[in-house]
Amino acid sequence: MSEQDPSPRDRSNDLAISRRDALRISAAATGASLAGFGKTMAAAQPMPVALPGMSLTVHFQVNGNHIETLVDPRASLLDVLREQLALTGAKKGCDHGQCGACTVHVDGRRVASCLTLAAKVEGRQVLTIEGLSLEDGSLHPMQQAFIDHDALQCGYCTPGQIMAAVACVQEGHASSDAEIREYMSGNICRCGAYVGIVAAIRDAAVTMGGD
Amino acid sequence: MNETIYPDRARIDALEKVLGRTRFAADIPLPRITHAMTVPSRIVRGRLAAIDIGAARAVDGVLAVLTWRDFTNAQSAGYLMGGGFGFQSHQPMLSDRLVHRGEPIALVVAETLEIAIEAAALVDARYEEEPFAALLEDERAEILAPQAGHAMGDAQAMLASAAFRVDAEYLSPAQYQNPMEMIATVAEWRDGTLTIHEGTQNSSAVKFGVAAALGLDSARVRVKSAYLGGGFGQKNSLQGQTVLAARAAILLGRPVKLVMPRAQLYHTASFRPASRHRIQLGADADGRIVAASYEADMQNSRADTFRASFSEITARLYSIPNYSSTARLVRTDVQSPGYMRAPFEHPAAFAFESAVDELAYATGRDPLAFRLNNDAETDPVTGDPFSSRFLAECLRTGADRFGWSERNPAPGSMRADDGTMIGWGVAVGAYKAAMAPAIARLRVRADGTTLLSVSGHEMGQGIRTAIFAALTEGLEIDPARIEIVIGDPDAAPQHLTAGSWGTASSVPVVRRAVETMQARFDALRDGRSVHGSIHQMLALWRRPYIEVETRLQAPGQPDAVFDRLQRGLPAAGGPEYKPFVSFSYIAHFVEVRVEPTTRRIRVLRVVSIVDCGRVVSPRTAESQVRGGVVWGIGAALRETAEIDPRFGGVLNNDLAEYVLPVNADIGAIEVGFIDQPDPMLNEAGVKGLGEVAMVGVAAAIGNAIFHATGRRLRQLPMRIEHLI
Repeated sequence: MSEQDPSPRDRSNDLAISRRDALRISAAATGASLAGFGKTMAAAQPMPVALPGMSLTVHFQVNGNHIETLVDPRASLLDVLREQLALTGAKKGCDHGQCGACTVHVDGRRVASCLTLAAKVEGRQVLTIEGLSLEDGSLHPMQQAFIDHDALQCGYCTPGQIMAAVACVQEGHASSDAEIREYMSGNICRCGAYVGIVAAIRDAAVTMGGD
Repeated sequence: MNETIYPDRARIDALEKVLGRTRFAADIPLPRITHAMTVPSRIVRGRLAAIDIGAARAVDGVLAVLTWRDFTNAQSAGYLMGGGFGFQSHQPMLSDRLVHRGEPIALVVAETLEIAIEAAALVDARYEEEPFAALLEDERAEILAPQAGHAMGDAQAMLASAAFRVDAEYLSPAQYQNPMEMIATVAEWRDGTLTIHEGTQNSSAVKFGVAAALGLDSARVRVKSAYLGGGFGQKNSLQGQTVLAARAAILLGRPVKLVMPRAQLYHTASFRPASRHRIQLGADADGRIVAASYEADMQNSRADTFRASFSEITARLYSIPNYSSTARLVRTDVQSPGYMRAPFEHPAAFAFESAVDELAYATGRDPLAFRLNNDAETDPVTGDPFSSRFLAECLRTGADRFGWSERNPAPGSMRADDGTMIGWGVAVGAYKAAMAPAIARLRVRADGTTLLSVSGHEMGQGIRTAIFAALTEGLEIDPARIEIVIGDPDAAPQHLTAGSWGTASSVPVVRRAVETMQARFDALRDGRSVHGSIHQMLALWRRPYIEVETRLQAPGQPDAVFDRLQRGLPAAGGPEYKPFVSFSYIAHFVEVRVEPTTRRIRVLRVVSIVDCGRVVSPRTAESQVRGGVVWGIGAALRETAEIDPRFGGVLNNDLAEYVLPVNADIGAIEVGFIDQPDPMLNEAGVKGLGEVAMVGVAAAIGNAIFHATGRRLRQLPMRIEHLI
């Protein structure tokens, strides 16, 4: 899996959103908590505004929340999500785009957030596992299917598997077991839950309506 | 009490895992946290002649650059298998002495991870190199005198006179556990107490090991390991990095997070050592195996002694009256190898079950019938009975479900319509049924909550779900308000969770706690009839809670093992419990497809039938077996560390080139359980599962490849180039 450019249409949508109400996130706010869609975000820990190296301001949306934050230009989206925005659902399994544990959606497409510079999501919409549940708080059909089929063991790769699985269905790549296996092979599960993962995606694809 | 049948239920922590809420060590939010990065040694063996940290120190945002000079008061916490706590006795950065490639020579701590990475790259070092040995076959490798093994009957004499013989060598490479969660340490020093957050299978070894290494009172060292992102043996003890991060946290007075990069983990943590296996087998004219000889060589480090026990299972798979085994350790210049899922049993079963298959063909017999014909009824090693053994049932059930009777026995005889070569193979596995001492503290409160603290670590095998099952099957308590605390030595003493003894230790002690709780409740009830849960009755009787503590050790173990448990030392027992012997068993049936032109090998389907005693958590148990089969497929067809003998490091030290099985590699995996309790081993009738699941898979695949192609592959991993 590699970083994908979003379509121009997606980008213009995103840029249309007013930044006036954007929450300013202090640069190293480790206590911040970003919940699902539409929730208010609060930086719990008062922190220095900027740490050394943080010279670039980026604006983007995470799970429907407007973010304005200073980042180190070298910082990956994964590290900014985890270390600055306290969104630790996306995981670091290799930091090389080889394992898929860090999979998130940018403008609706799955990317390896460890290979995506935070600077590159300027103006874009990021969806992480924390924002996947439905607005009423109920589970996304893919999350429910992962529980039902025990499509996980240790749970470390699971957020990335689920984000990839949702994209796999949305891309129209869940029409057969063989196709699911192929399009889910960028996400390694060392516990070996692959049989359950395929079954879960097959199930959820029906519920999701295969859009 | 063994008659409990446990219902299918969802994994207890699946909900928080699918929500991304499970907090692994590197997810713990701490104010003012700092980020650390190690600088790896570029040589294998020698001396760090000079180290220049000036440029690194000058980077804005760098808080400290530690070298061995910052650890002059520290010491090694010792080797886990030698009375200590570490995965190896060598603790990096205690001196200028370097003994294996990639060991840390400096630790950079900075305000951000980006700065730590930048500064680590600026540390400059000069080395004095010494010659080294990287491989088993290297001329500088030191081959030790053979360890004594088994000696039943007269194997050599019986081999010489056997009607049919096999004599072959099998090779198993160095392999890496590669749990998805890289080893991550978060160390926090506050008010004279050190708290370590680390996903470890052995929180007590971390606690006592860090204390020993840094000269701290162990009472002031807390370790939290509620969840691991996989362990597979690599996280079974104190890591070198933990000592480094802890020291930095104490010096700085701020929390330090050190997530070891994947590439460095191939040189800073344990692995499965390379090994060679020469197997000689002899059968008589009736197809009875009359003799076996097993000679093995296994890689070790220079300093530590990691003993081989390949024959522990192979001496017992069949009724072989004449059996001899020896093993030689081969010292090379690496970090100490150690335990990786089915550490000895996987390579041993590959070698031995391949050889048994060869012998079956040599005698002209069906490999399944040949195995059934040689089943053991009592333990050939001790002469004692097995506490339970349903291996023959595993074979028969698996054969039925797989459709073995449809198999054409001739190699190369089965083809798909498109010419693809089809192979059907079978192999069996076993793994000791061990138990470790465990303590459970159970408190049921009037307010509707229940707190259970018990020995055990959750690395994905489902131990929390099994504990939950044992707790709720016996007590009238609110299942929605139960807190299960594991992986925390300050809540209950923690034993290393490994060797498939986790559930077999935790579940029986929890059942005992449940029974004790029920007895206490009945005593309080004093004959009164009650209507409601324990919580409601406690509220009615104005008692805030009832608390019980129970303990349990392996059969025959003295109470002194609890002293070892309290001190964080390994204290597991088994598989020989006077007067019986306990193992778990498995039979694997595999269908491979070999593409006739490219010779690409695919595993289309696997049927695995397990005897692991009583199944406490059916859904997670099934997942665990499937995972073990995936491990077997990876070990059989993919995984090997590519070692460069000139530079002594692992060349393919990332997840793109150390090839793990991915979704597209895995077909159908059907799992079945015999589900017969083993009441001799423990009150719950539970044996182990996590490791036996993998044992024999590689041999079944190799045997299927032989059936498909007529080619016998004796080296792991088995690849296209071996079939061309």
